[in-house]
Amino acid sequence: MTLERTPILELRNISKSYGSVQALTDVSFKAYAGEVIGLVGDNGAGKSTLIKTISGVHHADQGDLLVDGVVRHWKSPHDSMANGIETLYQDSGLAPDLTIGSNIFLGREIRRSGVAGRLGFLDQKSMERRALDELEKVGISVPPSKRTVSQLSGGQRQAVAIGRAVMWAKHVIVLDEPTNHLGARQSLEVLKVIQSARDAGLCVLFISHTLPHVLEVTDRIIVLRLGRVVRDSPTTDYSVESLLGTITGLNT
Amino acid sequence: MSVTTQESTGEAPGQVPQPSLAGDRLRAIAGNQLTILLLVLVALVVFFSFKNPIFYSSAEISNITIDFSGLVLLAIAETFVIVSGGIDLSVGSTVAISGVVGAEMMIHFQAHMGLALDLLLGTFVCLIVGTIVGAVNAILITVVNLVPFVATLVTYSAGFGLALVLSSGGDVGNNQNAIVWSASGWWIFTWLDIIVLVGSVLLCVGLHFTRYGRFTFAIGSNAFAARAAGINVKRHIASVYILAGALAGLTGMFFYIRIGAGSPNTGTDANLQAIACVVIGGVALTGGSGNAIGTLLGCAILTVVADGLIFINVPPTWKDVVVGAIIAVAAGLQAIRTTGFRSRQ
Repeated sequence: MTLERTPILELRNISKSYGSVQALTDVSFKAYAGEVIGLVGDNGAGKSTLIKTISGVHHADQGDLLVDGVVRHWKSPHDSMANGIETLYQDSGLAPDLTIGSNIFLGREIRRSGVAGRLGFLDQKSMERRALDELEKVGISVPPSKRTVSQLSGGQRQAVAIGRAVMWAKHVIVLDEPTNHLGARQSLEVLKVIQSARDAGLCVLFISHTLPHVLEVTDRIIVLRLGRVVRDSPTTDYSVESLLGTITGLNT
Repeated sequence: MSVTTQESTGEAPGQVPQPSLAGDRLRAIAGNQLTILLLVLVALVVFFSFKNPIFYSSAEISNITIDFSGLVLLAIAETFVIVSGGIDLSVGSTVAISGVVGAEMMIHFQAHMGLALDLLLGTFVCLIVGTIVGAVNAILITVVNLVPFVATLVTYSAGFGLALVLSSGGDVGNNQNAIVWSASGWWIFTWLDIIVLVGSVLLCVGLHFTRYGRFTFAIGSNAFAARAAGINVKRHIASVYILAGALAGLTGMFFYIRIGAGSPNTGTDANLQAIACVVIGGVALTGGSGNAIGTLLGCAILTVVADGLIFINVPPTWKDVVVGAIIAVAAGLQAIRTTGFRSRQ
């Protein structure tokens, strides 16, 4: 790199507390397009709070969030989505009683054409069909089905959730524990989806407790401990042992 | 989801091995729930007609349709609220207070404006009063963060109380013209029935086929997911309670027209009846799933039973026991279904 690239996502001195609990302190990092960043830390390290700040579920008390070099303030998750950031939340990203198509298009429903559409009538057929097409494009195939998400297997459900994040993201995908509850083969497929998203020029924030997955798929790993960034280095600088040590604080 | 969705899942595409066959079977039952309800309704009508042929007369059917109309808007309102994951205990008291206030206003303007303008004024006032009660619920729930049960318990109690205070405990007004008009109509339906039925069907369509309805289901299914998908959850929930209040207000006007007065005693057991329709109709009280057609059928079953029992000389005191039994059976079926679905996290 001869020229300094503009990071697609940058956090500057983000701090956040819940009452007397300081969840995040002075968190800063830069993330670039076409990069997979691992975000790791023990329980309570602030990962979830950080994700929710990036996606607009929570608001930071202090600090700036920049997308493509421009300072942004999210009023709600809607704003972050409108700026190309998609987030997969751990376990709770889908509405279990809705179909795959309805979930994929939740908040972005396709309406019928003409007067019916203006009255808010939905084009359910198009949504179901396009959902499968778009999922296929990002490497996820689910059987065509009008069943609700609650009737899918855990792996299929997770695949739908990841697919939704990847297909709508323009800049950044935040994946919170995407391989949780998944078997080895399904996890590999998720990692493959992550890699193809990177190859497509997206920036992926990958949050996981499964350190081998993190070491395998990421380009850089940021370690959080007690709400602070304690290390931010290329993945090649870590081994499982040194990563574990940094997370727990036993070797610094 | 829509009826067609549920029915068509029976023949799942065979090319891909699909897990959760138990889910499919249960879903088939869920799809059939509407069929079961319809069969139960037909069986009830046949039973009562067999026991007393007069039951199958246009006069009695008119009685049933008018009772149905007095309940169905509340049941639909409750369906929207319950699908969104809440509950509204205040629809009955909203009927009372809006009827009383509507009647007071009509007297206040001593409307020798003719029946039509009179009723238009009353309808408008009832709509406003219902909307206000709904807005109070909405504020208590989305701003004060009370759980819906408590918030609507507040307006339930205060609503009936205010209705009694404003009416001094008695009926307000004596509008014979309204009563006469309420009996006019077409075939076995009064004009009131027709208006209410058309409105109900439109609301059912709205719940199942529009973006507004989709948001309602999504929020009831997983409010966090809905918010994360960019839906303004608080605003939507507020709008659902306001809609419920408005429908209860219109029901208040419905009863004013039928009895020619605003009575603080209308709607006293309407809350539980409306919720009963929803439960019988198979709408999940946990929110996120159900079918408004089920509510319509539940409402029909409830009114047919209530009127039919009188017809076969069962003492009216037994009515509530029978209704209770029906709710128990319907809710039992529902419990079996949701336990089957517990594969969700």
